[in-house]
Amino acid sequence: MKVVKQMVPLLAAIIILLLLFRIWVPSFLTPENMLNLTQQISVNTILALGMTLVILVGGIDLSVGAMVALVGTTTVYCLTALSGDTQDPFMLLTAILAGLGVASLFGIFHGIAAAKTAMPPFIITLASMLIARGCALRFNSGLPMPIKDEQTWFLAIGNGRLFDVVPYPVVIMLSLFLLMALLLHRTRFGQHVYALGGNREAALYTGIPIVRVEITVYLLCSLMAGVAGMIHTSQLYSAEPGSGEMFELTAIAAVVVGGTSFTGGRGTMFGTMLGAVIIGILDKGLNQAGVHYSLQYIVKGAVILVAVYLDVRRNR
Amino acid sequence: MNKALRFLISSSLLLLFVPLLGGCNDSSAPGTGSDPAQAEGNTAPPGRLFGASFQTLNNPFFVDLGNGLQKELAAHGDELIILDAQFNSLKQKNDLSDLILKDVAGIFVNPVNWEGLKGSLLEAQRKNVPIIIVDAPVKESDEELIVCTVASDNVRAGQLAAEALAKVNPKAKLVVLHLSVNKACIDRVAGFKETLQNYPEMEILDVQEAKGTTEGARPVMRDLIGRYPDLNAVFAINDPNALGVISALDSANKLDDVTIVTVDGSQAGIKAIQAGKLHSTSAQFPKEIGKIAAEKMLAHLNGEPVEKDVKVRVELITAENAEQHLEAD
Repeated sequence: MKVVKQMVPLLAAIIILLLLFRIWVPSFLTPENMLNLTQQISVNTILALGMTLVILVGGIDLSVGAMVALVGTTTVYCLTALSGDTQDPFMLLTAILAGLGVASLFGIFHGIAAAKTAMPPFIITLASMLIARGCALRFNSGLPMPIKDEQTWFLAIGNGRLFDVVPYPVVIMLSLFLLMALLLHRTRFGQHVYALGGNREAALYTGIPIVRVEITVYLLCSLMAGVAGMIHTSQLYSAEPGSGEMFELTAIAAVVVGGTSFTGGRGTMFGTMLGAVIIGILDKGLNQAGVHYSLQYIVKGAVILVAVYLDVRRNR
Repeated sequence: MNKALRFLISSSLLLLFVPLLGGCNDSSAPGTGSDPAQAEGNTAPPGRLFGASFQTLNNPFFVDLGNGLQKELAAHGDELIILDAQFNSLKQKNDLSDLILKDVAGIFVNPVNWEGLKGSLLEAQRKNVPIIIVDAPVKESDEELIVCTVASDNVRAGQLAAEALAKVNPKAKLVVLHLSVNKACIDRVAGFKETLQNYPEMEILDVQEAKGTTEGARPVMRDLIGRYPDLNAVFAINDPNALGVISALDSANKLDDVTIVTVDGSQAGIKAIQAGKLHSTSAQFPKEIGKIAAEKMLAHLNGEPVEKDVKVRVELITAENAEQHLEAD
């Protein structure tokens, strides 16, 4: 019940925003526009779900944006090299596993480095952000790599719809949300995550396997970035080595607007989901209301400030 | 009491945005300038709404292009929303679907990734929203999904730059600063290299990526000066790039030894020519591109046929004709 109470201000904010934009954009609340909203927030939400875990243990992962690009280029490279002009479910799976495999390597490295060394996660992931971006740019001399039209299955990940209604990115986002929420709120691992973020020393003395938990957390975050990368790449019909810049910051914004404490130990997956929805509504609403692009920056910045201020205030 | 207070504070703070949003909605919704045409538009009966999505608005070229579009549309009583994709293809895709779902009468797109636009084009086609591509082309296989492309004759712009350089420095040892994700820039460099074949004594020492921005060009140029001591000319693919080159050469005290040619014709570029820092720029006419694109859109909506590939003139600006291209502030 406590969790539900904490969500009241966020839900209220969402309803108010929706009603506000309904005033300026009469078609704003149509089912189609709302469905489109959920599709637009899917990449950011998936990134934010992973980021929530990392921030809960008191860390940060700046590399997720670059990871989106690297996973995209790796997957498309393998897909093109393996299957050429034909489709083969086995080759598609191999290409996707190659992409996710690269992401896992980075994630495991982040976890080990964060748990076993005194290097701050900010610096570790800043470094691997650059490394991952560089690796992505190694493909095709840094130019976008188009996906062949024949690869209809891979293109369906980002552009297809389940039963011709719900876009696949939304299906993937909701499944991952359920999975992560169960993991965080209903398992021992979840308890360990909160314990680790709340008080590291205490967690160590109560016998929590700190290293294993931390590695798992960073691994999950990178894997989420991997999935987001697949969707992103599929949606763009090409892998762009330069894409995903600043994605980490939008994901962090969703996490903190959703009420997760930046110092760790407090926050929920549901909050993050709502945070991502708020940022998505703002993006879409301001666009459709015809607000000048310069003011969009200002409004978004102000909303983040207000949301986090209120959150900090009530938890003082 | 705590909960109620929280709720009140959060809702009232959010409500504070109402006048702010409302205010900007009236005054600047359609874009960038405050032309008189727009004020007149307010008294005219409400017209159609159009949308535009540019890869960046951090370049005067696109601000001018947007103004050209808006002025022509406003003259017909229509309105325009301009969105900034910030070089982010995903944002551009989302922006475009927002415009499509808002039922705009037509959309002008300047693609971030000229090969990655297909999803948005298909979505627009399903909703019968016509799309005109401005400034840079899209993949040939996507051309059936658009009304037409309106862009500068970029190959010609590259040729003009090469001819201008050959005139003052026929034995130039030069470097090219490229933005190779952009088709317009690819065409400029292709035109440049094509003309260079007529001048066998000119030599390209290196081609480097410089992001098409001033900040991007400066460090790249500094490196190149160090690596090629006999370098004496530069072809930069746009004015912002050329300004970065000028700044790098200036700080190395080498500006007098190097001839710089570029493509753009921005006011900053023309001023650099007058100051003797830049040799020439093959001027594009962004306002004209905008105006023509708007005309083609309106013609298409009236059911008139429109040619697929519309090329807008380019013109060489050097110290001789710089004055006449300088706009009064």
